[in-house]
Amino acid sequence: MRLLGLATVLVAAAMVALALPALADQGGSGISPFLPEADSPNGRNLWTLYNLISIPALIIFVGVEVALLIIIVRFRRSARPPGFVPPQWHGNHRVEVIWTVIPTVVIAIIGVLSFLELQRDFTKPTDAETQLDITITGYQFGWTYDYSDGVQVNSVANHPTAMVVPQGHLVRIRTQGRDVIHSWWVPYLMGKTDAVPGYDNYTWIKPEKTGDYRGECAELCGAGHSTMLILVKVVTPQEYQSWVQQEKAKAAATPSPSVKPSASPSPGSGARTASPSPSPSR
Amino acid sequence: MATVAAPPRPKAYDETFFRPISLWLTTTDHKLIGIMYMFTGVAAFVVAGAFALVIRIQLTQPNLNVISAETYNQLVSAHGTTMIFFFVTIFMTGIANYMVPIMVGARDMAFPRLNLLGFWLIPMSIFVYYSGFFTGGALNAGWTGYAPLTELKYNPGTGVDLWVFSLAIWGLSGIMASTNFLTTIVALRAPGMTLTRLPLFVWAQISTSILLLIVGSPLVAVLVLLELDRQFGTHFFTTDGRPVLFQHLFWFFGHPEVYIMILPGFGMISEIIPVFSRKPIFGYSSMVAALFGIVFLSMAVWAHHMFTVGMNIYVETFFMVMTMLIAIPTGIKFFNWIATAWAGSIDFTLPMKFAFGFLATFLIGGITGVYLSSVPVDTQLHQSYYVVAHLHYVLFGGAVFTIFAGLYYWFPKITGRLLNEKLGEWNFWTLFIGFNGTFLVMHTLGLEGMPRRIATYPGGFGEEGWGTVNVIITISSFLLAFSVLLFLINVIWSNRHGPLAGDDPWEGNSLEWATTSPPPPYNFERVPPVRSFMPLRDLRESGEIAEEEPPARPS
Repeated sequence: MRLLGLATVLVAAAMVALALPALADQGGSGISPFLPEADSPNGRNLWTLYNLISIPALIIFVGVEVALLIIIVRFRRSARPPGFVPPQWHGNHRVEVIWTVIPTVVIAIIGVLSFLELQRDFTKPTDAETQLDITITGYQFGWTYDYSDGVQVNSVANHPTAMVVPQGHLVRIRTQGRDVIHSWWVPYLMGKTDAVPGYDNYTWIKPEKTGDYRGECAELCGAGHSTMLILVKVVTPQEYQSWVQQEKAKAAATPSPSVKPSASPSPGSGARTASPSPSPSR
Repeated sequence: MATVAAPPRPKAYDETFFRPISLWLTTTDHKLIGIMYMFTGVAAFVVAGAFALVIRIQLTQPNLNVISAETYNQLVSAHGTTMIFFFVTIFMTGIANYMVPIMVGARDMAFPRLNLLGFWLIPMSIFVYYSGFFTGGALNAGWTGYAPLTELKYNPGTGVDLWVFSLAIWGLSGIMASTNFLTTIVALRAPGMTLTRLPLFVWAQISTSILLLIVGSPLVAVLVLLELDRQFGTHFFTTDGRPVLFQHLFWFFGHPEVYIMILPGFGMISEIIPVFSRKPIFGYSSMVAALFGIVFLSMAVWAHHMFTVGMNIYVETFFMVMTMLIAIPTGIKFFNWIATAWAGSIDFTLPMKFAFGFLATFLIGGITGVYLSSVPVDTQLHQSYYVVAHLHYVLFGGAVFTIFAGLYYWFPKITGRLLNEKLGEWNFWTLFIGFNGTFLVMHTLGLEGMPRRIATYPGGFGEEGWGTVNVIITISSFLLAFSVLLFLINVIWSNRHGPLAGDDPWEGNSLEWATTSPPPPYNFERVPPVRSFMPLRDLRESGEIAEEEPPARPS
């Protein structure tokens, strides 16, 4: 029995050892214990908030597990003199108040921090702040990206076409669903936003580095769910402009049968509310 | 009652009482119904576990195609539905059906025939759900069955309809059982068994029953609305309707259902820790208050499953705060359990080992719950493998570990024989290591952006990819399955060949240990006097029951 206890400690140590290299290399291997440190200010704020919550979480986790280990080692019957009768406590109001108040204070702090972050990064950006509007429509199975610049990109299942965005520009994203509920998620930029039929949801990104960012649909949407891959390509503003010209030329050359170029999002309410879209959904 | 019969011994009981099959089919004895509930639950556990293994094989490496995406979705849905509705809830109902009347000193449940009807609805519910597999495909939209994916346009088969009817029958059975428990506990308590002397397991069953009575009806309501959409052309949740309303209604049932599954487990832990620590439970009244705090709060947190659907941020804040508040009563219970064991004289028998396994793992599920409750952080974690890890730490750590603890604890009472120690040790350690190996690394997979419910995955977003971690998970999941196999062998073997337990192998505190193992059909020759919430211990200390030497068990 002792040996088995020792074995657990070894397994735990091995797991920690496994996790340590992951602290150094941020992501990729599947064992990073952090949120992605995203390359967009709002996504990075989520990373900060996650780390702040981790401080009390780790203290409580280690504290309780150590208490359990102490019980296992020190208070087992075999470590007690024969005939030992433990103290018969029925309760203690003072300690019970303490372990009610401490968690209350901790969650109050976490709640306030979360609420501030909600107000900062989860409201719909104003038209003045916005430098580019993209409407993302999820369908079975793929995404269409309608740019306020008049470009439309269709990304079909398994072969994601990049949503090209300019570096350093605030991109306001409106998500919609055409058939069932989908969810647009690129973890290294920002948290996910559901694409719900009949609703307009807003989020935004302001990518800071050029490069490719990948993601997937995060809401079970049918047999092709795992094929709804996402690719976001961040380029310099100059490259973006030439890409827009190129796409427009392409669209002019081949008369597209698809949807009309999107209008900019309806001037709706301020917050990221679930105001049902005024138009009947498709 | 002039003649006092000798208490029936296990062997005689086997022959006269356990044998005839007709008795099993028609009995209204709460103990036999309880055993049938538990048997159904374990069978569901094995089937749903086998589904999980197929799922794990499919996910071992990127871009595998062992099963098709459609089959994968059906298996994921069946795994979730079976584990939640047909295993945990049903098993908990079974063990409570067996123990609650004995613990309050009653002879049977208040409505024995309703009890039997309630039980037989469950195999029917399971049959209706599983017939989907033979009629063109079962539910394929996850156990939550989100509309519009479950609407006729996207799901023309009968699988969704069968799921709807199955859960409606299940809800009916749950309402019957809850009514029965509450009536039994209110009306049939033994003399002296005041509410403040009820065992905490009984209190847990009161809170669970109240919860199921309240949220069972909204479940049936949302299913009826979905069925109207499918069969009569209404537009409640269709693409042209309000799909988010489905989620609100479903989770108003769905979140409390989590507590319906784990509150009885909390009750078992509150029974087991004091017995093996040789101390009274720390803070009896705050334990009861915490149960009802959880019941109340659990009905005001449902929208935390919906933080990405685009609610108003102030509404989201409300649900975030309510969710975080649940940490307080849960924390009180947790700290009280630790304080109960603290400075005790602890006998690490198998039930106690599983109880500590529960404490060590459920803690992680509780802490990750606080991360998930924070709306901004949840937009990253939601619908990812982090959530899969969290819910398994809550439900496997919270329900399965407690079920094993309860089984090792009460198996001697139910069969008269102890479970084998050696197999039990192996069962515990393989379960503990297999469980953590399977689910611990799922947290990090989710943090890296692997969504849940995907039938296969690309290499991953980084250079190394997710393949390595998924191999670890698959291997560990097979260790987990091996552990369950050991347990089944143990139950089958010990039922016939285990060492005889005697009436009170653990020196328990509550009334069930005052009767024989297994108890006679009428439960008690004479209900012992109840003078505190630990009636049996009082009798032992005052010398009113003869100190019977428990048969030696191998240590």
